[in-house]
Amino acid sequence: MTTLSLRAVPNGRVDMTGVLPETLAERSADDIAKQIVHLAGSPLMLGDLFEVDVDETDMLVIRTDSDRLDCLGKGMNTGNVRIEGPAGHYAAQGMRGGELDIHGDAGDGAANGMTGGLLRIRGNAGDWLGAALIGDRTGMAGGVVAVEGNVGDRLGDRMRRGLILVRGQAGDACGARLLAGTLVVAGGCGTLPGAGLRRGSLILGRRPESIPLSFNDSGRVDLSYLGLLHRHAESFLPGLLPASTQAQRYMGDLAFGGKGEILVLA
Amino acid sequence: MIINGVFIDDTYAEAFGMKATRIVITADNLTWARHAANAAFGFATSVIACGCEAGIECELSPAETPDGRPGVAGLLFAVSTKELAKQLERRVGQCVLTCPTTAVFAGCEGEESLPLGKNLRYFGDGWQTSKLIAGRRYWRIPVMDGEFLAEETTGLMRSVGGGNFLVLARSRSRALVACEAAVDAIARVPGAIAPFPGGVVRSGSKVGSKYKALPASTNDAFCPTLRGVAKTELSPGVDAVLEIVIDAVTDADMRVAMKAGMDAVCGIGAAGGIVRLSAGNYGGKLGQFHYRLREILA
Repeated sequence: MTTLSLRAVPNGRVDMTGVLPETLAERSADDIAKQIVHLAGSPLMLGDLFEVDVDETDMLVIRTDSDRLDCLGKGMNTGNVRIEGPAGHYAAQGMRGGELDIHGDAGDGAANGMTGGLLRIRGNAGDWLGAALIGDRTGMAGGVVAVEGNVGDRLGDRMRRGLILVRGQAGDACGARLLAGTLVVAGGCGTLPGAGLRRGSLILGRRPESIPLSFNDSGRVDLSYLGLLHRHAESFLPGLLPASTQAQRYMGDLAFGGKGEILVLA
Repeated sequence: MIINGVFIDDTYAEAFGMKATRIVITADNLTWARHAANAAFGFATSVIACGCEAGIECELSPAETPDGRPGVAGLLFAVSTKELAKQLERRVGQCVLTCPTTAVFAGCEGEESLPLGKNLRYFGDGWQTSKLIAGRRYWRIPVMDGEFLAEETTGLMRSVGGGNFLVLARSRSRALVACEAAVDAIARVPGAIAPFPGGVVRSGSKVGSKYKALPASTNDAFCPTLRGVAKTELSPGVDAVLEIVIDAVTDADMRVAMKAGMDAVCGIGAAGGIVRLSAGNYGGKLGQFHYRLREILA
C-alpha cells in the first residue's frame, strides 16, 4: 500500500493521528503527501517529513529512526501497519481493529483505551501500557498486546478487558486497579503488583519480591483455564506460558472486593 | 438389487429435521472425559421419552481440543431448540460439571447459539468469573477439585435424525455380528451417531397401538415370534431383525453413514447369514428426508 520513510529526525514531537491504512488506501503518493499532521502542535504536510511511496501491498510501513512519532495507529479500525524503528508515545491509542507491529521500542501510554485488534511491540514499552486515556475511568477494553521486551510502570492500570502478554519484566504496580482482563508478565515485576485489583487475572512467570498484604493465599491450584490461555498465547508469543496448568493463587485485592487473582506460575 | 447375496429392499428410510449441537468435553485424561460423556449422553436413545438423542461422535487428541487435554466430541439432537437447550443444560450440569477434572467447550458454530455455561455459572454462587479469549467467553466456576471451565454458548445446527436400516438375518447372533460391524463403520463417519445402546435397536416400532394411550408399539410385521398370527414382512429363512438408527449433522453425513453401515453388513453377506436389508418409514408423510437404500448403495 504505502511506505513512509522519515527524511530526518523532527525537531519536535509529531502527532501522527490520522495516518492509517484506512485513510491512505487507494490514494496517490502526491495526495498522501498532502495529508496534514502536526509537528510540535503546528500543522504541516506529511510529505514534508516523509518520503511517500505507494506500492501494491496492503500494508502501511513507516520507516523511522526517531522516537518522536506519537499516536501511531491511533483509532485504527482495520488493516496492517508495520513500524520499522521506534514508536513514540500513545501508539495504538484507542485502537479498535487491525494489527500494529512495532519493530522497536514504544513510548508511554501505548494501547491506552484500546478496544480491539493486535499491537505487537518487538522491543520495550514505556509506562502506562494498556492503561486508561487521560480522563477515562477504564483502560484497555479489548484486543491483544504482545510485548517481546520489558515494560514500564503501571502496566494495565484500570484495564477493563483484553489480554496483555509481556515476555520481559514489568515495572512497579503492574495490574494496579485492574478491573478485568488478563495480564501475563513472564519476566518478573516490581513492587505492588495488582494493587487495587478488582477482578481479572495478573499472571506472573516469576514470584515477585512480595505480594501486597491485601491478597490472601489460596494455595497451589490446577486451572484448566491456563491450558486455554497457553494455547491462545502461543499464537502471539510462543513459549511465553508453560503448558502446565498449575499455579499459586492469591485472591484479592481484598480492599477492593477480592474477586481478582494473582497467579504465580513458578 | 442383490449385493454379496444380500437382497436390498426397494424402500427408503424416512428421517426428520432436527436441531442439534456438538460439544467437546475434555479432562485430565481420556478415561474421565469418557466418564462424563457416557453419563451426559446416556439415556438419550430416542426423543420419544429421553428428550434428546445423543452420542459420542469421536475422541479427540490434546492437539484437537481447546485446552490441550484429551477429550471427546459429542452430538445431541432434539426436536426443538427449546428442548435441546433444556437437555443440554441438564446433562452438562448433572454429568459434566460434576465429573472430576472436566471442562466443556462448544464444538460447532451456528447462526443461533445455545447456553452452555451461561446459566451453569450461577453454581459458582458469585465466585464465578468469566474470561473472554479470542472473542469467546468462558466461565470459570469454582468446584472442589479446582475450577470447572465452561464456554458460555455452543452453536445450533439444523440436522437430520432418524435415518435407519433393518438387518434381516438367519439368526439373532448373525444379525448382531453384522450390526456390530455396521456400528463400527458408522462410528468412523464424522458428524453421525447411532444413539441406541451399542448403536443397535431390537425394538423397532410402528406408529399407533391397540392401546389408545400409546403413540407407538412393536413393529409386529418384523417380529419373528408373530409369524403365522400377524401380517409379516419376514421372508423365509429370516429369524431375527435388528435396526440401526442414525442421527447426522447434515443430509450428506447421513448418506455417508448409511452407506458405510450397509456396506459393512453387505460385506458380511449371505455367507454370514444376512438375508435382506430393509428400512423403516411411515409412508413418506411424516419426515422430509427420504433415503432410498438402493440409491445410496448404487
